[in-house]
Amino acid sequence: MSDRLNRLIAAAGTSILLVAAVEAHHSQSEFDFRANVDVEGKVTKLEWKSPHARLYVDVINEKGEAVNWNFELPSPNTLMRRGWKRDSLKPGDQVKVNGARARNFPAIGYARSIRQANGEALFTGVTQIQEPEPAGVKPQ
Amino acid sequence: MRRALWTVSAVAALAVPAVAPAQWLDYPTPGIPRLASGAPNLTAPAPRTREGKPDFSGMWFANVPSKDACKGEDCIQEERMAREQINLGIKLAGGLPYTEWSKAQMVQRRLNKGREDPHTYCKPPNFPRAWTLPQYIKLVQTPGLMVMLHEFNAAYREVFMDGRPLPENPNPTWNGYSTAHWEGDTLVIRTNGIRDDMWLDIQGSPITEAAQVTERLKRISFGIMQVEITVIDPKAYTKPWSVTIEMALQADTTMLEEICLDDEQDVKLYK
Repeated sequence: MSDRLNRLIAAAGTSILLVAAVEAHHSQSEFDFRANVDVEGKVTKLEWKSPHARLYVDVINEKGEAVNWNFELPSPNTLMRRGWKRDSLKPGDQVKVNGARARNFPAIGYARSIRQANGEALFTGVTQIQEPEPAGVKPQ
Repeated sequence: MRRALWTVSAVAALAVPAVAPAQWLDYPTPGIPRLASGAPNLTAPAPRTREGKPDFSGMWFANVPSKDACKGEDCIQEERMAREQINLGIKLAGGLPYTEWSKAQMVQRRLNKGREDPHTYCKPPNFPRAWTLPQYIKLVQTPGLMVMLHEFNAAYREVFMDGRPLPENPNPTWNGYSTAHWEGDTLVIRTNGIRDDMWLDIQGSPITEAAQVTERLKRISFGIMQVEITVIDPKAYTKPWSVTIEMALQADTTMLEEICLDDEQDVKLYK
């Protein structure tokens, strides 16, 4: 086995914790799941398209300006099978969103939970599943 | 002719359905065994065709528990995902028997956090990976042909059961070319002609043009089907290997199309 491969395997074993949510469309490496985001604001749109539904929320920043956040949700199919509908949230609804931030882009996030302004749960976010490394990837 | 049209019109008028709420998400599947409660009897015997063979027709999803694992009140239920979706060999002692080349591929893809995953780019669902994806698969079985419909990108796969041989030197495709025959109650599907650059799972285990894939379908009960996947791919694996994916019948619901390119927004975030 080449030195290069050994180095790669060692690096994979020590540095990667493969995080994958069930929405297999992508690996979600564009989100930093340690960078929490909690915002409150007004729904501008619930986009009901594949591969991910998206919730757009106007959040007032410290300068008093409205920033339109784009939160990724599971696929519409997954949501519909949980009983959500494309009009489960309407423009103007006040919501609190918890999620993870995109690594390199502002105002884009991965929603974990969405609550009404009074704190009452609206519906789910996504569950991250952390898988163990496959055999042989850990450093020897 | 006119009379025939009348008949067709009358039948069409009679067939106009009442409006069902929420598409057919909760519409009862007709003609399936049920318990006294009305729920599908998933432990009933596997159904059979007129020819006496097991009938695999129905909607299937990897047999992942649908349980509520959320600790807070803001989760409806845990996401459902086959563990094999990440690593197809996760239940094999020692994992998949990678060659040096394929292991380097897989490790590099992991290091890149799956950014090159064809699935990320909304490419088609490719079997055998497609068994593990989080969309439904509908099997439509006829005596000479099994059609597999996949929700992701509204894709299809044909498995010929009419005795034709596998093609020689085929033009490689995403799903290759599949024929099947019966061994008792097991449907044995053989596939060749898979493209050289396919992924088997999220971590990027390769499968190549050299691959010969065998899928053995067994319907254990009305509610459970086992798919034993055997891969012989000397370019990517040092020896043949087999894994079994258990699929659960999805009754009283419907297929939902999922066109990935409709609103793909993640690739640009990888920069």
